Order: sequence, then structure tokens, then C-alpha cells
Amino acid sequence: MVERSLDFSGLRCPLPVLKLSSLYPQFKQGEIIDVVGDCPTFEKDIKAWCAKLGKTILNIEKSGNKIKVTIRI
Amino acid sequence: MKQHLCHYGGYLKCDNPNCEHRYALSEVLHLCSDVLEKIAQGDCSQKIDLKFERYAVQRLIINKVSQEVSAMIDLTHELAIGICEHFDVLKRLHEGDFSATASEDSSVEIVRMLGQLINKQKETFLEYINTINKHKEEIRHLCEQQNEILSSVGVAILVSDEDMTVEFVNHEFEITTGYTKEEVIGKMKWIEFIPEGLVQKMIEYHRLRRISPSFAPRQYETKFKKKNGEIRDILLTVGLIPYTKKSIASIIDITERKRINEQIIHSQKMESLGLLSGRVAHEYNNILTGIVGFAGLLYSKLEDEHLKSFADKIINAGERAKNLSRALLDFSRKEKIEKISELNINKYLNKFSDFIRSLIGKDIQLNLILPDKEIFYKIDPTHLDVILMNLVTNARDAMPEGGELTIGLKESYLDSVYTYTHPIVKQGYYVVICVTDTGTGMDEETKKRIFEPFFTTKPEGKGTGLGLSTVFGLLKQYEGHIHAYSELGKGTTFKIYLPLKEKKEKVALDKNRLKGSETILVVDDDDQARSYISLFLKEFGYKAIEAKDGIKALELYENHKEEIALSMIDLVIPGLPGAEIARKIRKIKPDAKILIMSGHPVNLKDMVSVEKGLIPEEILLKIRNMIDGIE
Repeated sequence: MVERSLDFSGLRCPLPVLKLSSLYPQFKQGEIIDVVGDCPTFEKDIKAWCAKLGKTILNIEKSGNKIKVTIRI
Repeated sequence: MKQHLCHYGGYLKCDNPNCEHRYALSEVLHLCSDVLEKIAQGDCSQKIDLKFERYAVQRLIINKVSQEVSAMIDLTHELAIGICEHFDVLKRLHEGDFSATASEDSSVEIVRMLGQLINKQKETFLEYINTINKHKEEIRHLCEQQNEILSSVGVAILVSDEDMTVEFVNHEFEITTGYTKEEVIGKMKWIEFIPEGLVQKMIEYHRLRRISPSFAPRQYETKFKKKNGEIRDILLTVGLIPYTKKSIASIIDITERKRINEQIIHSQKMESLGLLSGRVAHEYNNILTGIVGFAGLLYSKLEDEHLKSFADKIINAGERAKNLSRALLDFSRKEKIEKISELNINKYLNKFSDFIRSLIGKDIQLNLILPDKEIFYKIDPTHLDVILMNLVTNARDAMPEGGELTIGLKESYLDSVYTYTHPIVKQGYYVVICVTDTGTGMDEETKKRIFEPFFTTKPEGKGTGLGLSTVFGLLKQYEGHIHAYSELGKGTTFKIYLPLKEKKEKVALDKNRLKGSETILVVDDDDQARSYISLFLKEFGYKAIEAKDGIKALELYENHKEEIALSMIDLVIPGLPGAEIARKIRKIKPDAKILIMSGHPVNLKDMVSVEKGLIPEEILLKIRNMIDGIE
């Protein structure tokens, strides 16, 4: 059950992960969030962010140039 | 593939698709701009095919740009992810999760150094925290120690704020007052513990202490109201906690101490009065002997009846004075006890109550409460007469409109707790006789003086004031004491305590109660003792089987186990000891009744024992009780 959705479309990498990190203190442990972006390296950055911070990627969905990644915090 | 024809430099619109000369410059630029745009967006995977040679310079520039931008993007991403990671670590540290550790393996030096710095900072923080925790632990330990000291100091302690609200109380306070810490701290003001009449004065002290501390008394006696409403005398010590406006008060309950002191003072006063009156009475008696003696002589020599009557008056007055000095001697305990005899107090009180019925009148109902067990005491009966007559007369006079007079008798043990609170009383068994009336009662002041000679509340001419002082003196002669309890308008109880010198029960036994027809095995190596026991058993109807030693005893028991109701076994028998014989008998019959006999009191597990020195009746009573399952 997605509890929060963040749209970083139009932001160039690495701004989406920096933005995600700055919002991260508001998240609850175990919360499921969607992050959307259209930067070509968005998927790679989110994957790296999740790996470093120990978060789980539940799903990746591509639609046109937009990518939606579902993460368990 | 067709061979390349443009061997000399090529041309526009060349048919050969592999010919590098077939594209116009604009087209080449267009191709380059597409690639550049994608690189600019961060997609550095875009490259220009290097198999063309003619535009090599352009191609190389574009690819170089792609390579450089890619490296910059990678660096930016490394930086960003590093920041994100360290941000997360800092956030966790901020939340108190000191298991968070920043990674120190980034390829970017500044990120790596930042990680190291965060970890070092964390270590420093942890050291600080450990030191703080250590100090906290020490403080906690100190506080616990202080609390322990405050609790075990045996004095109730209270700390209050300037507005008199209680901030702290120790465990002793809870014990002394009946209040719990939860009920008091922050919820009550100390004035709520003070009886109404004293509040104003103590508030003045409270204020004075803050204005001019040297003028406020530091220690004084006052009163405290317990949770149950009881008012206690206390010794209060109050001081200000330095550099604060808080007061610290220690409270010592001195109610008992005061009462004990009063008892001691009273006893000392009575002792002095006794000494004084004894001495006076003695001297007085010597003088009276002369007066009465010579007056008698005068009486016998005189012939004139008129003059004789004068001598007679002197003799009568002298006799009255002698009686007075005798009463004083009774009080001072100078009289020798001569006619002591063992009285059955139950019987005595029965007779005494019959005698006083006419004395107390019809309006007073007499109740006599006697125990079933008869109580014996060695006393001069006339002394007991004097004691009880005085108490009964006082009781009667206290009930002019009738009431109830109750005389009770019991035996009581005054333990160390009682003697602690009544220091003039010795620990031990006492015969207690109570005389209770439902009369006018006494106030505290009267109660304090009732045993003083010549103190009376009766109208002049009605009482000598020597009644209770005589009672007091007589009881002292028997090392006894008297206690008065009185409430105004409700009545008075006098309790007299006569000490039992040796606590040996003397029971008036019903001989029929001791008889039985059961068979008893008597085991004793002493021929005389064995036959004596058998003899008195037979006298009371029992059948006795005798055994000289353990082997014989066990043999007899085996053969008569259904018949034998009880076995009496001597504790010390050569060969098999008494306790061992008892155990073996219990193996034959687990519920066998066994009475161990010994020369001295013993305490054996699961065995009833009896001293050989007891009279046969007492042993028989024990046997009967055991067979009947009472003991």
C-alpha cells in the first residue's frame, strides 16, 4: 500500500536523490513510497541510493520517458 | 559491399553509403548536435561511430566531451549519494541510534573524509555520553545512598517549598504519619499536618525563619496530626536549606517517650512520698505508742469518771492516729507481709462478690467474669481484701445513680514490648484483676495524682485520701502494680497486676476425667520407676504392659499392636534408645501414640514428651488427652 508519492520530474540528477534524502526524515520506518522522475540516470541513482541506505526496491515501472520506482523505507 | 570509389576525396550525394564525403557539413553538424544534446541531458552513452575518418576531429571532440561529461556526472552522483548516505547517518545519530556508521570507502576524497569525520565525531560523542552516563550513574548511586541514609536515619524528614508545599518526604515519614509519598509530595502543605490551634504559631515561625532565621526556634516540641486523625507529640527540628528558601524538617515522635517519662517521674514521686510518709509514720508511731500507752495507764489510775472519759478520748484519738500511720506504712511498704497463704482467686472473688453485693446497693449491677481455669496466688487475704474493697468503694462512689461494676480475673503474660513501654514493670506472668465501673470517670490531672496519699476528690470528711495510696503500696509489696484507665463520663477501669513468681500451673483435676481402660506399654529400664508408673496407671483403670528394654518392647508391641493404645517410653535406655524404639514402633504402626518420658524438658520431632518429675495426675491428663486425640 503506497502511502506517499513523490514526483521529481523535470529535476536533473542527482537532484532527485538529494531531494529524496532531505525528505527522508519525514518518512516512517517501513513506509512504502513511489518516486517518479524523468532524468536519464534517475533509475540508476535511486538504485544506488537504496543500496547505500539499505532500502528495498519493490517495483520499477517505465512509462515513456518517466520512471516510477516503488521503495520500502 | 561495393568498393569505395571516392578514392580522391569524395563528393556530395555519393551513392556509396559508406562514403564519408556524401554528407554535407550541415548534415554532419546536425548529427553532432543531436548527440551533444543527449550528452548534455546526462546520457553519456551517446557516441559517434569512429569508422568514418573524414570528420575525425569533430568526432573526437564530441566523444571527448561525452567522456568528460560522463566522468563529471559520475563524480556528481558519487558526491550526491555520499551526501545522502552521510545525511542518513547524521539523522540516525541525531535520533540517538549510535549503531549508525558512515562508510569511509568513497572514491571521492571529500566524501570519504566526511565519513571519517562523522565517525570520529560519533566516537567523541560516545565518549562524552559514556562519561555523562558514568557521572549519572554515580549521581544516581549517591542519590540512592542519600535516600537510604534518609530512610534509615529513623527520623521522619520533610522538605517543603517557601509556599509550604511538601517537596520530599522519607520512608520514616510514611511510617510515622501513615501518609504515602504519593499522597503528600506536591499535593499537601505541611500546615495540613498540624492541629488547628498550633497552625498560626508555626506559620509565624515559618515566616520569621525567612526574614530573620536566628529568631525562629530551630527545635521545639509540638503536635502532629496523623492520617488517621491521631494527634502525636513530636520534637520538630526545622532549618533552611542553604541558598534556597526551602525548609527541611525532622520529626521525632516523642509521644511514647513522654508517656514513659511521665511514668518514671510519677514512680519516682511515689517512691519519694513513700519514703517520706514511711519515715513520718514510723516516728509518729513511736510517739503514739507513748501517748496511747500513758493514756491507758492514766485511764486505769483515774477514778473520776469524767476525767476517765478524757483519757478514753485520748486513747481513741491515739488509735485513730495509729490507724492512719498504719495506712501510711502500707503505702510506704514498710509493713512486713506475714500471713501469706495460697488463695484460689476464683473462689475468693466468688465469696468477695457475695460480700459486696449489699455494700454497693441495688442500683449497681455486679458482674463477675472468671476464667474456667482456677488461678492460685500466694497473698495475705486481708491485703487482697483491702485492695479490692478500696477499688470497689471508689467504683461505688463514682456511680451515685447506679451503673455496672465488673470484676474480672485472668492470667496474663507481659512481654518485652509491654515492659519497654512501661519501664517500671517487669516482664513475666501476672494475675490480673480488673475492677471496672461505668461511673463519672476522671480527667487526666486527677488520674495523675490518684495514688498520692491524702489526695481525694471526695467531699471533705468523706474520704481520707489514703485508699488508693494504700492499694498502691500493698501492690508494691508484692512487686505488683496498678494501672488506671478512665474516660470522663464513661467510667474507670483499675487493673491490678500481681506477678506469678513461678509459672507452674496448678490444676484442680477431676479424677474421673483421668480414668481409662486402655492398654499402655511402659518401657523403662529402671525397675522402680517402671513399676511405679504401672501402678498408678492401674489405679486409674488402665492395663499396663511392662518392658525393660527396646527388644522386649518391640516384641510386645508386635504381639499386642491392636490392643496397645499408647506407649510410654523412657528417653534414656541402655541398648536401643527411647527415640529409636519409638521410631521402630511407628514402623510397625505408623499412627502409634507414643509418649516419651525424660528427666528434663525435651523437644522431639513428631513426639509428645513428658517430664518424669510431674505429678501422676498431670501425666495421666496428658495420656488421656493423647488417647482422646486432644493432644
